Amino acid sequence: MIRETIRMALHSLKINKLRTFLSMLGIIIGVAAVIAIVSIGSSAQQEVAGQIATLGSDLIWVTPGRGSGTANPREGFTLEVIDFIDLYTPDIVNVVPEITTGVELVRGDTAVSSTVVGTSPGFAKANLYFPVLGRFLENDDLEQRRNSLVLGSEIARELFDRDDPLGLRVRIDFRSRRLNFTVVGVMEDKGQGIMGNLDNRVYIPVTTHLQRLNQENYVDLYYAQAAPEASAQEARGQLEYFFLKYLGEENRYNIFSQDQILEVLDQVTGTLGLMLAGIAGISLLVGGIGIMNIMLVSVTERTREIGIRKALGAKKRQILGQFLVEALALSGIGGVFGIGLGWLGTFAVTEIGGWMLVMSPISIMLAFGFALAIGLFFGIYPAVKAARLDPVQALSYE
Amino acid sequence: MIEVRNLHKIFRTGEIEVEALKGVSFKIEDGEFTAIMGPSGSGKSTLMHLLGCLDQATSGNYLLDGVEINELSDNDLAVIRNKKIGFVFQQFNLLARTSAWKNVEVPLIYRGVRRKARRAKAKEMLEKVGLGHRLEHNPNEISGGQRQRVAIARALVNDPALILADEPTGNLDTTTGGEIMDIFQELNQQGHTILMVTHETEIARAARRIISLRDGLIESDEVRAS
Repeated sequence: MIRETIRMALHSLKINKLRTFLSMLGIIIGVAAVIAIVSIGSSAQQEVAGQIATLGSDLIWVTPGRGSGTANPREGFTLEVIDFIDLYTPDIVNVVPEITTGVELVRGDTAVSSTVVGTSPGFAKANLYFPVLGRFLENDDLEQRRNSLVLGSEIARELFDRDDPLGLRVRIDFRSRRLNFTVVGVMEDKGQGIMGNLDNRVYIPVTTHLQRLNQENYVDLYYAQAAPEASAQEARGQLEYFFLKYLGEENRYNIFSQDQILEVLDQVTGTLGLMLAGIAGISLLVGGIGIMNIMLVSVTERTREIGIRKALGAKKRQILGQFLVEALALSGIGGVFGIGLGWLGTFAVTEIGGWMLVMSPISIMLAFGFALAIGLFFGIYPAVKAARLDPVQALSYE
Repeated sequence: MIEVRNLHKIFRTGEIEVEALKGVSFKIEDGEFTAIMGPSGSGKSTLMHLLGCLDQATSGNYLLDGVEINELSDNDLAVIRNKKIGFVFQQFNLLARTSAWKNVEVPLIYRGVRRKARRAKAKEMLEKVGLGHRLEHNPNEISGGQRQRVAIARALVNDPALILADEPTGNLDTTTGGEIMDIFQELNQQGHTILMVTHETEIARAARRIISLRDGLIESDEVRAS
């Protein structure tokens, strides 16, 4: 009998294709929205998390705080401090200074805007970022304050096209200063990271940068890594303690680590996703009300059919079953189409963004289950109404 | 066999009470062809609904094949309608956009017959009323007379104890109506019990027995000599 009920329900949905489609539309859009939002959200999250991971593992950043006075907030961020950090924080390894300056790079007639990063050899290891040609900066470059220059892959292409740039000269123009550097290496393609695009930067010894380019004593920030065997939290704690003792005030420095960024990111995307899924859920609910509308109209319109069926021996529960299965089929089939549409939307967005497609199976099951539940809930009232019709009145209904 | 004793039916709408049947009694033996006549408001439609188990009497007894119908639940009534009664309506009352054989199989579905057997039985019934070549046609694709034949096939499909026809020729022209009456005659000769409600004397003449109603009471009950 269940098979017959399903067959009858599908038959009556089939003979009213337009109405069936219109009443499914709400569910289709609702389910598609839930799936697309959740899946696009988790794809984006995966993408960003991936980018953060490629930055290097267990990185900790130390940046200047706002400070309390009018003095340079970077005061105290010297190169000499690094030795003391190494000394006083056993769980911290590879402290790397960074100072960035926007400059013009000139090679013959070609000039491009770029960012010069003054740093130390440890930068490559901290960022998991390595040269494909020549070498990265070495300790010797720093000690001798050499005018050595390592190019980001994009800058190398712009200045030298496909030529081998090793040993060639590039002029760095900053304010009125014109400094000649010798190319010692070209970095691999890294792409967009959380700290910006590494590929259109160039790298010089931090000592050279401070003395000749910026002519300052302070760097912009330090990178540090927790020792492999140490706990990230312990390492961070040591670093916090060091800077508090060293600078005296908490508001003169900020320390944040990769897992903190990930955590904040998770929170933001989680909250956002939940909110959007909620909105999509409301559209599912509206879709359900649409189904109830159509089913109620359908019951009225088919009063005579119900009368005929009753005259021919249909029991109350058989009429109830028929209309309930119709509502369920509406929401179920709508749900399947919605899953398809949601997948398509997610696919399109991740394709455009160049992300990996992460379909969340939970969101699919949840959206489909919710759609079915809505079909059942909003289908019950019209179905009961149909089942309760008096056969004599139903038969004489015009 | 049908036996009706002192049947009353009172309709209440708010304060107003209408007694549509005021004590009707008669007996119909198996194989009879009976017409129920009467002007509108005489109670013949009400009687028809009671006999068809679509409704129950306010008081009195209705025995169909020895079963007291007035004591049955809605569910049991549905079963009785399904197994014992075949309806033929003035409006045909076929399911729209549903093929002839699928219309005929509906009572079999509610009886729980398997699909294969249903199709065979529906085909057999349609052939019996001369529509073996119209199995896949929808009601809107065939003539009024053919529609009524489909309805008759549907009424016969569960081999009912009683065929109830409510103005079966009311929507048909005289020629087609005559053809439908011929089918009823033939079915009667094969042993089917037929009860037909009509207000046309012409049509009622096909029946051997005519019960006339007026104001909720039997006015006359005559058996024609054949």
